[in-house]
Amino acid sequence: MIVPAREYKFSEIIADPVIRERWNKVRRYFFLRESTYDMSNRCNIRCEGCYYFAGEKQFAEENRDPAAWRQLLEAEKARGITFVVLAGAEPSLVPELCEVCHGVIPLGAIASNGLHRLPPGIDYRIHLSVWGNDRTSLAIRKAPDMLVRQMANYQNDPRAVWVYTFTPVNIDEAREVTEILAKGGLQITFNMFSSPVGYKGPLRHTPQTLAKTAQVMTELLAEFPETVLFSPYNILTHTRPHGLHELFSCSYPRMNQATDIGLGRTFRQYRTNLQWDREAACCVPDTDCDDCRHYAAGSAVVTARMYRHATDPLTFSAWLDYVDTYLAVWVKGYAKGPNLCETPVIPPPNQ
Amino acid sequence: MNTDLPQTITRIAEIIINTLQLEDVTPQTFDPDLDLVDEVGIDSMDLATIALVLRDEYGIRIDEDDYPKLTTVQIIAEYINTKLTSGE
Repeated sequence: MIVPAREYKFSEIIADPVIRERWNKVRRYFFLRESTYDMSNRCNIRCEGCYYFAGEKQFAEENRDPAAWRQLLEAEKARGITFVVLAGAEPSLVPELCEVCHGVIPLGAIASNGLHRLPPGIDYRIHLSVWGNDRTSLAIRKAPDMLVRQMANYQNDPRAVWVYTFTPVNIDEAREVTEILAKGGLQITFNMFSSPVGYKGPLRHTPQTLAKTAQVMTELLAEFPETVLFSPYNILTHTRPHGLHELFSCSYPRMNQATDIGLGRTFRQYRTNLQWDREAACCVPDTDCDDCRHYAAGSAVVTARMYRHATDPLTFSAWLDYVDTYLAVWVKGYAKGPNLCETPVIPPPNQ
Repeated sequence: MNTDLPQTITRIAEIIINTLQLEDVTPQTFDPDLDLVDEVGIDSMDLATIALVLRDEYGIRIDEDDYPKLTTVQIIAEYINTKLTSGE
């Protein structure tokens, strides 16, 4: 780790033409205001450790009325939401509702297991979950040939990005999956299994599996730079012994009481009955906050901490890499640039 | 160290106008009591950017936890004055 010799002025940091170019590239997306929506209380598979089937939200009644969804999304748009994340349990089971959302708010992403292809008119980024090779998927997700079927559904589809969730039992399989996707000209990003509240099973990471995951991520990022959407700073922040909340102080309403500005003011997590609960509102509800290293959480939580990263060119470059990665993963059509900071930097502490 | 409050207000308004590229308003016509979130449309990333420019300009650190308090130009100016007076 490198400790900066002095604190720089922000104007000095962005005087560097490479940093300035990247800064100007990412800041154009500062208008994004996110909320998330559970689209259905059903899923066609059942994965161990699934966040959706933890807690109360799985029991919410399902609203399948397109008119009700349109009304909700129009109200969301009116209060300033510009980016939707359609998630639990499996949005591809209700494509007609996803189309309604896309018709009202054109920027967004869908978290899907990829076993049903979403209609091409839904022009959101589509995150396809992968939890290891197909042998491990069969064991943990009880579904055969997941990667094969995902690739058949989304080959040559620019909406698709695979999201590999590292668990203690699939670390070594990430290479096999990345190689397969690289051969197909597809893209992958990395997620960390983050335990649901009360989860005591074998998928919870340990200091040893975190370190091993970081090593594998580093190798894959170096070997497959065109395939892997990630950065050294992503690796560092998501594989620390402490979770994201302890590192950066989570800005989602569930952990943030402030309602004046930012996510604490605008973010909502709607359940399938179109209701939301501030006490439970975050990007992955029912995750154990102490164990949260989730990619979706980091995309908001690390990005929001721009001020503390503007201490020196290296640290700010690491933050820019993180934001560049987040935008490439979440916004369809956003092209990730080369990482600016290959040096491990210390995440600036909470104040 | 202390600053002239009206001068600070004008300078902060100028920084906000430049950062957000606001049109049809000048530092002199910017209402210092406008709510920056509700009436100007500033969000947390805008405010973080403005805070960095203010840090450069006045040599003060603006705590992330203080962002929610900084709702108007007037309040920001008073916040800066307090920081400069206390030597933080």
